[in-house]
Amino acid sequence: MLEVKNLTKIYDDGTVALRDVSFTVEEGDFLIIIGLSGSGKSTLLRCINRLIEPTEGQILWNGEDITAADGKKLRRIRRRIGMVFQHFNLVRRSTVMENVLGGRLGYVRQWPSVLRQFPKQDRQKARAALERLGIADQAHKRADELSGGQQQRVGIARALMQDPEMILADEPVASLDPVLAHSILNRLEELNRQEDMTILCSLHYLDLIQEYASRVIGLRAGEIVYRGSREQIRAMTDEEFKDIYGEEAVRVSAGPGEGGLS
Amino acid sequence: MVTRTTQEESKRSLVSPPVAAGASVVLPGLGQLLARKLWRGVLILGSVISVLGLLAWRIDALARREPTAMAKLARAFERRPVFVGLMIGATVFLWLLNALDAYRLAHPEHRGVFWVFLLILVLFFTLGWQISEIDMRKAVTELPDTWPLFSRVMWPWEAAVTRRTETVSARAPIQSPCAEDPPEPPERTSGEPYLRAEPTCGDLSELDENNDIIPGTTLTLIGENFEPSTETQIWWEDPIGNEFRIRQEGEYVTVMTDDAGSFQLEVRMPYRLLPPSAEGPQVHYVEARQVSDVGPPIPAEPLLLSIERMIETIFLGMMATFFGIIFAVPISFLAARNLMSGTWFSMGIYYVTRGVMNIVRSIEPLIWVTIAVQWVGLGPFPGIIALTIHTIAALGKLYSEAIEGIDPGPIEAIQATGATRLQTIAFAVVPQMIPPFVSFSIYRWDINVRMSTVVGLVGGGGIGFILIQYIRLLNFRAAGIAVWFIAITVAILDYVSAEIRERFV
Repeated sequence: MLEVKNLTKIYDDGTVALRDVSFTVEEGDFLIIIGLSGSGKSTLLRCINRLIEPTEGQILWNGEDITAADGKKLRRIRRRIGMVFQHFNLVRRSTVMENVLGGRLGYVRQWPSVLRQFPKQDRQKARAALERLGIADQAHKRADELSGGQQQRVGIARALMQDPEMILADEPVASLDPVLAHSILNRLEELNRQEDMTILCSLHYLDLIQEYASRVIGLRAGEIVYRGSREQIRAMTDEEFKDIYGEEAVRVSAGPGEGGLS
Repeated sequence: MVTRTTQEESKRSLVSPPVAAGASVVLPGLGQLLARKLWRGVLILGSVISVLGLLAWRIDALARREPTAMAKLARAFERRPVFVGLMIGATVFLWLLNALDAYRLAHPEHRGVFWVFLLILVLFFTLGWQISEIDMRKAVTELPDTWPLFSRVMWPWEAAVTRRTETVSARAPIQSPCAEDPPEPPERTSGEPYLRAEPTCGDLSELDENNDIIPGTTLTLIGENFEPSTETQIWWEDPIGNEFRIRQEGEYVTVMTDDAGSFQLEVRMPYRLLPPSAEGPQVHYVEARQVSDVGPPIPAEPLLLSIERMIETIFLGMMATFFGIIFAVPISFLAARNLMSGTWFSMGIYYVTRGVMNIVRSIEPLIWVTIAVQWVGLGPFPGIIALTIHTIAALGKLYSEAIEGIDPGPIEAIQATGATRLQTIAFAVVPQMIPPFVSFSIYRWDINVRMSTVVGLVGGGGIGFILIQYIRLLNFRAAGIAVWFIAITVAILDYVSAEIRERFV
């Protein structure tokens, strides 16, 4: 169980990215965070694994205080939290295999890994992960030779290498073709359902949110302005949506088969 | 569309067309200014002023000695009628065209004369032609003069090989002036070449007070036992050991031996080279020589020297690149904005590093060599120093830009996996930096080898050092060999470096 308590982040230039944000995520939740660009979604996700240092507040995960963790302890927490990014964040010039093995860095010995020496079982694990995501045949290509959807699957494979108990996904489908969005989110849902993995994901498209979320929180200007369960989000009207996204917002469809208002 | 109309209305002329034209006659560009065409007016005024100023300067340069302006103009016109006439005519035409331009701009239709700018361009082109002393006639008529040089440089390989030579010679003493005891002709040794002169004494040629030649005694030379049917040169050696070939009517004296290896010819005794203080009878020698090539062709000195120096050049470039990289890597970190933007102090270091690198880079390597030669003397070492300095600045900038350009995304992603700092650098930073670093370094090596062929021109060692010497000695064949080596090496290197870079990036 993840507990975020009174989390505040103020950047050096004075921008308040998060203001007194508190929420809980139960194990096995598929929590979707919605909000405009700049509303603090990315900051919130990065505060959870401390890629960004929170200014105030506390984050507890299974009773461990993430905000107080340091050095080795922090790395041990991080390695159990996978992360998937909007722009995939692969090392473009390295091979797919190397990128996936990168997810194992928190577990292996430092020096051999720097020299690209990984235990045999890790390599097998990487192949299995690629297999599972359907890109095993791409393993020896350079990451930047792959299409966007394939790259994001490499990103997920890298996260899986961490044997994560939780995955943070920062707008995982925002730079993909809408048609591919379902394929990526299906993978995450599968992990959520089959392995009871907790997933925190920021998303934009209402129809995707309605299809995948088990719970939703909405951010506006760094504050939580909406909390909803699966049922509530399914019943969400355009008016409520506009409350979070502002009057200018127009709902767009994110894929075939999903109805959308224009 | 609405806004555009109002804009055009606000641009309407302040004065009527005739007034604008009149204003432009008084001061070019003024009418355009009044027609609310600020930049057009400034451009025309500026052009007219520069054209007049430059023209005045050129006329003065053509007629420096004339006292008055009119006299200068007349003299300049006399010397360069086409240039001066064209310039004055075109300037007057430009003035009129400028008035017409102003008139039409002030008109509600608001359309100027495009030809004004074309005319300005023509004026500057004509001035440029004269100022830079372009002389097409000379370029064409004197082109054939370059042929001997050009052909030697383009195909210098005759000078690349040589053969060992063997000399067959015999000499005979000559006394000058004649005294009581003229030397005996040399003794005959059987089988050896033999030369005899008659008489064995005489007077050297001399100049009288009118610088006319008083011919010396004519000697009859009789040679025997030389190589048959071979060209034989006649040499002279004076008492202090100066050797030279005898010339008569401007040509070297040579003779062909007959089938038995004998010859007979008459030569005048050469011009006296000894100082007048050397008085009294002296013994000179006349010598007949047959020089023949023997043995297989062997590489000549220019070829061997070019190869040696080319190797030196390549290593010079390599060492400079090597040292440059060693220094440039740490410096590039100081010059990377993304790494140095922390505090005002580190930003200060960033600006200083950048500034120094920009200054060093803007000074040509040739100038650095000149400085380094003063420092460590002639040879490849000052070349290495100069190229290293330039390489540090150039690579430092390129490297730092590569560092600035790295994608922070992978760093974030690797950190999120629980990796240590070292692992993060090894996995997310190094793979991003290696390709540009390798690529820039090879590119620089390529540049440095090319530059090292030039640094020799100012004393920096390498092939340029011998190239400039051959050129100054007018030994164009040898220079041609050096040029060929440079061309071949640079071409190969160009290809190799492009190939390697392509593989890496």
